[in-house]
Amino acid sequence: MKKKLLFTFSVLTLILSLPSCKKYLDINRNPNAATTLDPKLLFSYAVTSYVNLRPSGDLGMPMVLAGQTMADGYNNPTGFAGGVQTEGEYRFDPLIFGNPWRSYYTSVGNNLQQAIGLAEAATPKNVNVAARAKVLLALVYYELTTVYGDVPYAEAFKSNIPYPKFDSQQAVLNGVITTLDAALAQFDETSTIKIAAYDMFYKDDIAKWKKVAKSLKLRTYLLMYDKDPSVATKIGELMTAGGMVSSAADNMFVPFEDVQQKKNPKYDIGERYNGKQNFFFAIKWVTDFMNPMADPRLPKFYDIPAGQTDYIGIEQGTDGDDDVNPRVSTTLQSAAQPEVIYTYEDQLFYEAEIYARGIGVTQDVARANTLLKSAVKESCLFYKVDATTATTFSSGLPTYVAGASGPTSIVYNIHYQHWLDMFDRGLDAFTEWRRSGPAGSEVPALTLPVGAPSNGLFRRYEYPISNEINQNPNAPALIKYYEKMWFDL
Amino acid sequence: MKKLLLVSLCFLVLCVTQVFAQNRTVTGTVIGTDDGLPIPGVTVKIKGSNVGTPTDVNGKYTISVSDGQTLVFSYIAYNTQEVAVGTKSVINVSLVQNTSQLSEVVVTALGISRETKSLGYSVASVKGSEITKARDPNIVQALAGKVAGVNVTQSSGTLGGGSKIVIRGATSLSADVQPLFVIDGLIIDNSAQQLATTNSAVPQGTAGVDFGNRAGDINSDDVESMTILKGAAAAALYGTLAKNGAIIITTKRGKRGDAGTVSFSSSTRFDSPLVLPKFQNDYAQGNQGVYNIANTNGWGPKISDVQGQTFPNFLGQNVTLQAYPDNIKEFYKTGKTYINSVALSGGNEQGDYRFGYTNTIQTGITEQQRLVKNAVSFNSGRTILKNLNVRTSLNYVRTVTDGLPFQSSNNANVLTTTVYSLPRTVDTKLLRDNYVNALGQQNTLTPARNGNNPYWLMYNNKTGAVNNRVYGTANFSYKVTPWLTLSDNIGTDIYYEFRKSTTRNGTIGALTGNFFTANLYQRIINNDFLATFNKNVTEDFNIKFIAGTSIYENYYQREQIDAQGLTIDQLYNYANAAANTPSNVSNKRRIQGVYGDLTLSYKDYLFLQATGRNDWSSTLPSNNNSYFYPSVSLGFEFTKVIPQMDWLSYGKLRASYANVGGDTDPYRVLFAYNPATNVFAQYAAGVNFPFNGVLGASTPATIPGLSDLKSQTQNSTEFGIELKFLNDRITLDADYYSNKTKDQIVSLALPQSTGYAFKIINAGDLTNKGVEVSLGLVPIKSQFTWDVQLRYAKNKNVVTLPSNIKQYTVQSGYSGLTVKAESGQSIGLYGVKWDRDIAGNIIIDPATGLRKTVTDKRLGQTAPDYTAGLTNTFSYKGLSLAFTLDARKGGVMFSNTVSTLRTNGLGAETALNRGKVFIDKGVIPGTTPGTFVPNTVPVQSMQDYWSQYQAGNTEANTFDASFIKLREASLSYTIPSKVISTYAKFIKGLQVGVEGRNLWLIHSNVPHIDPEVNFFGSGSAGEGVEFNSVPTTRSFGFNVRLTF
Repeated sequence: MKKKLLFTFSVLTLILSLPSCKKYLDINRNPNAATTLDPKLLFSYAVTSYVNLRPSGDLGMPMVLAGQTMADGYNNPTGFAGGVQTEGEYRFDPLIFGNPWRSYYTSVGNNLQQAIGLAEAATPKNVNVAARAKVLLALVYYELTTVYGDVPYAEAFKSNIPYPKFDSQQAVLNGVITTLDAALAQFDETSTIKIAAYDMFYKDDIAKWKKVAKSLKLRTYLLMYDKDPSVATKIGELMTAGGMVSSAADNMFVPFEDVQQKKNPKYDIGERYNGKQNFFFAIKWVTDFMNPMADPRLPKFYDIPAGQTDYIGIEQGTDGDDDVNPRVSTTLQSAAQPEVIYTYEDQLFYEAEIYARGIGVTQDVARANTLLKSAVKESCLFYKVDATTATTFSSGLPTYVAGASGPTSIVYNIHYQHWLDMFDRGLDAFTEWRRSGPAGSEVPALTLPVGAPSNGLFRRYEYPISNEINQNPNAPALIKYYEKMWFDL
Repeated sequence: MKKLLLVSLCFLVLCVTQVFAQNRTVTGTVIGTDDGLPIPGVTVKIKGSNVGTPTDVNGKYTISVSDGQTLVFSYIAYNTQEVAVGTKSVINVSLVQNTSQLSEVVVTALGISRETKSLGYSVASVKGSEITKARDPNIVQALAGKVAGVNVTQSSGTLGGGSKIVIRGATSLSADVQPLFVIDGLIIDNSAQQLATTNSAVPQGTAGVDFGNRAGDINSDDVESMTILKGAAAAALYGTLAKNGAIIITTKRGKRGDAGTVSFSSSTRFDSPLVLPKFQNDYAQGNQGVYNIANTNGWGPKISDVQGQTFPNFLGQNVTLQAYPDNIKEFYKTGKTYINSVALSGGNEQGDYRFGYTNTIQTGITEQQRLVKNAVSFNSGRTILKNLNVRTSLNYVRTVTDGLPFQSSNNANVLTTTVYSLPRTVDTKLLRDNYVNALGQQNTLTPARNGNNPYWLMYNNKTGAVNNRVYGTANFSYKVTPWLTLSDNIGTDIYYEFRKSTTRNGTIGALTGNFFTANLYQRIINNDFLATFNKNVTEDFNIKFIAGTSIYENYYQREQIDAQGLTIDQLYNYANAAANTPSNVSNKRRIQGVYGDLTLSYKDYLFLQATGRNDWSSTLPSNNNSYFYPSVSLGFEFTKVIPQMDWLSYGKLRASYANVGGDTDPYRVLFAYNPATNVFAQYAAGVNFPFNGVLGASTPATIPGLSDLKSQTQNSTEFGIELKFLNDRITLDADYYSNKTKDQIVSLALPQSTGYAFKIINAGDLTNKGVEVSLGLVPIKSQFTWDVQLRYAKNKNVVTLPSNIKQYTVQSGYSGLTVKAESGQSIGLYGVKWDRDIAGNIIIDPATGLRKTVTDKRLGQTAPDYTAGLTNTFSYKGLSLAFTLDARKGGVMFSNTVSTLRTNGLGAETALNRGKVFIDKGVIPGTTPGTFVPNTVPVQSMQDYWSQYQAGNTEANTFDASFIKLREASLSYTIPSKVISTYAKFIKGLQVGVEGRNLWLIHSNVPHIDPEVNFFGSGSAGEGVEFNSVPTTRSFGFNVRLTF
């Protein structure tokens, strides 16, 4: 008995104590993660993150408020401010500066970089996934620099460079062009590798990708032009070559879905916090311009209070009155509202500006007038004004003559129309406003929101402290939100 | 029980020489005065001779004596008693327990019992009875203030909430700073599992909802003793897992030879908030003195100024404003705790058994908060064959919690902010009675999105957990020869936990409702096989050698579903949700080890111990996964060799050196992509995949360590001295230690422009140097005894980082606040500071009269400079009064609650100077650039002034975290056995008492809150931050203990 027990005991102990060491320890592979995958999955993740960042409370909402395309209704209990100062009054939580930085560089940018790497390493090369990812990456660089100014570009996204140096905005914008050129050179319309729905923008229509890539080049050069007029030649070349976005069918956007957890953030916050009521009020910079023309887009932009006939926008930082002041339309900011990156009217407004100012082309005010009217018509159609009204309204717009300045000039009206067309695309409108003229002469001539510190108008996001400045010895000193960046004269 | 453990030892150490040349026999029984039970193993010796005998299992002895001799009765942990034989033939003795000697024998690493005098390192021992005197349902919290060098902080006042324990300062920059918990040789889990949810950015575990850490499952009533192995040398045999020290728990056992004992104890306790904020009661809600129902603050008009007017209240009624000074006090109720425990134990010569059952029912200080815990334990040992012993222990604990409050931010359900933002004009009773309207919808506090009615939150939105845990061990021990013993200890610790949190439709911030459920599974398997050689080489020289192997496996898995958008009100069924997001995670870690432990002892006063262990960890790259580490320690009882001195009764020196290796968490070596369930969108719910019909996957946020990663090492040196004077009336135990952790495996925060957030690397050294002193005094020792225990511990923590790393983020907080490490500094709190001139004056912005700020500055270290504890025990016959004071000096803490109270204009201090001209103390730029002159610019309003105290201005809400607390007090009375035997013979012992914990915050520098909370919880190295935490509680109760 004793021997049996001892035997059992020894065997058990041996079994438990001495399993094959190497095999026993070879378990350090996460069963819930993949060491390799199809790059389209990274691409779709990056795109989804990107279209959720742009309208979110970290970027789109602060930009419409601080950039004054919408009002927070200050003391209105169901307005965005709810009695507490917000980004509308230039109160920025550090997270607001940090989160877009993180999203652009990690969840969007790095996944695009990884997708490019995997697609180009595949046999055969998945060139169209790589090229599409490059177009998106160019958008990432473009938006990063327009939000923050000088940002890491050349040394960004490199796991072996722990402290990327910051590049000048000019270098970054040139990098945007380089990246778009690389994409254009790589697109192959004959490739048989399809990703179908994973291309949420154009469903494998590579021709449309090439068009929008060229248009994005145009937009980038235009941003640089006032600071660096030498790019006029490039603009002229692009105009001559053509092949840019040429109809609303080319618009670059991703739809949301009217399904829980797939809704546009702009709608979702109203549903979660405000009983489906929209948080944002009409701002006077938009209504004051549109009212005199009885702009048919007004009822598309806003829900007017019952019994009211006039669209009365408020000043930023003042109280929204639900009996008087319209809120942003819940039909417009619906659950499934797409996130729009670039439209045909953008293209037409840019072309109108190019001819009106003669940038890289011979100045042609008549052509600019025509293009402006077409742009406004496209804008009306975009906001679902019916075709007849859109045509009547746009063709009834004044024809501006050369040589005028201020509100009667064609350039002023192009800028204003383009800015209000983007009133629901916070960052894009904010960038358009900053490039519309030197400080003090921008269109429209915004004033300091009520209750905002007297340092000056909002001009950028500050560098994020915890996400970058503190970790990166190569980071520049903090720049305040009211300081201008390179392109902003 | 302790007696039994000691019996074996007594037989070993006692030199019982042959009884000879005596002329008659004396018999008797030795019992203990504490419990009236017989004590086996007491040495009964004739004074002045070597003649002696031990008592048997029934405490009986027989000894031959001559008239005129004196018998000396001695037993470890009891006062020695001398009795003159005279003509007596029966001498019964009652020995009195000596608390100052309790640590004479301790259970050390791997369950090895050692005499403290043989140890070359510092250990502390706490008896089970000490932690049940004034009990805390969390055994970790019960250690607070009891042991020098052991720092315990509470996460919150939530029922079942966490307590973090750190020994001799944080040894790691990463999450893992807590000691290992070992019960009866089994390594158990003490994690505080966190889980992120779709509807909250704050992980649920400690920060959001405090589900506690799992050491809280240990039932105090089953604990016989706890040994705290403080240093690396003490814990070296446990290897990697014990690099932060170890807490060795031995559970109670039955006594062999005891026909059967039933013990019963019952405690009832009442809890109330220890500290509630001090509010102003003069001003209503509003903005710049104008009433506004949309605001939850105190910036409206002075209530006394607007008595002629009426204003809408939260119900829409027009009322005259009035302050309700006790509205917050009324919000909190008295929590109740009932702990009832029964144990049955006994044994015969062949075996022993103990069966215990403890039931705990608690209600919280917030309504609907509830905890029910049932713990069953079984422990039995048996001698199967001669020299073959087996022992098994089995524990089952079921903990059910519900109604746990949300803390911190970014969730609609955060309770403390809601409560501490209640305007002074709100009547709590009205709020409770009208939390819904006639249609059953919420009557919100304000029409704005920040105004949930706290009663709506408590009555509708429930968060709780059910944890079922089983842990147990089987131990075989076979004495092959007198000098060789083989033993094996195998055990497992398994729990399932179900968590659920519901948010009802109509809750502001989650109007469409949501809920989540999560199933957590955690398992540890642990086996140790030991061969022990023990041989006296000569009479004076003993060799003991232990060789062992160990395997350890830790497995965790979680499945979770987040449901958003509920159709049918209050139906928390996935089919009722518009969107469900499932997720699953799992990880596994294995460590194999072999070890040896050699102890040489010479003449019972010189002890040398050397250990070595090699570990292989699954978490390190296969080329770097093996690491060896040694330890050596020396104990020298010098009073045995120096000439005897009357005033010095005992003296010992100890010294040790140890090196301990450390591994890391699983899956930090390979680069792998993660399938994504959701993307983030601020304020909104984000988007779930599939989105537009497609899935997504993401690059990891952390660059893994790849094959470069190697084990981290910790070197530790310790010197100690132990002295006893004047017959043990004064005892002194002091230590100096120095620990250095090198090549730490850290998750270094990268600039995110790299595309990543973190990188796993070996970087950074952390040094902890400190002293610990325990001083015991017995100023009065007679029938009335006064015993004083004083503890002091000082620790200095210094970080060294590689030159290319500016700083290391230990824990990122919120609003610009971080806990960081910088070279040459201790781990500290960093954030926004007031800008100052060279002379240190705060610079005021002349445009506003408000202070200027600078970002990312050090605000102070998070750990204390020193901690001290003082326990006084007075006993007179069966009556015992004890109280413990606990003090902390130094270190800083940040309080978000204070920020809320000040920026909201609700804290008492915000009522001052309103409507008056107020000029802040500071300087403004002078006319010459670079110079400053005293400030003359008034603030525009006091509301503006206090808005500077917003959470983003870290310094405004950072305080010296020093405090003095009356940690516990107890008064107990043991009914004399004479009385019992007269009136109720079947009763062996009866004790009644009153107890109190956390009774009085005697001194604190932090307004409005208890400085002793830690938002980051037990699973993090971060400390020093309070973030809308549930208030901690003061407890008062009474107890009865009965044995029969």
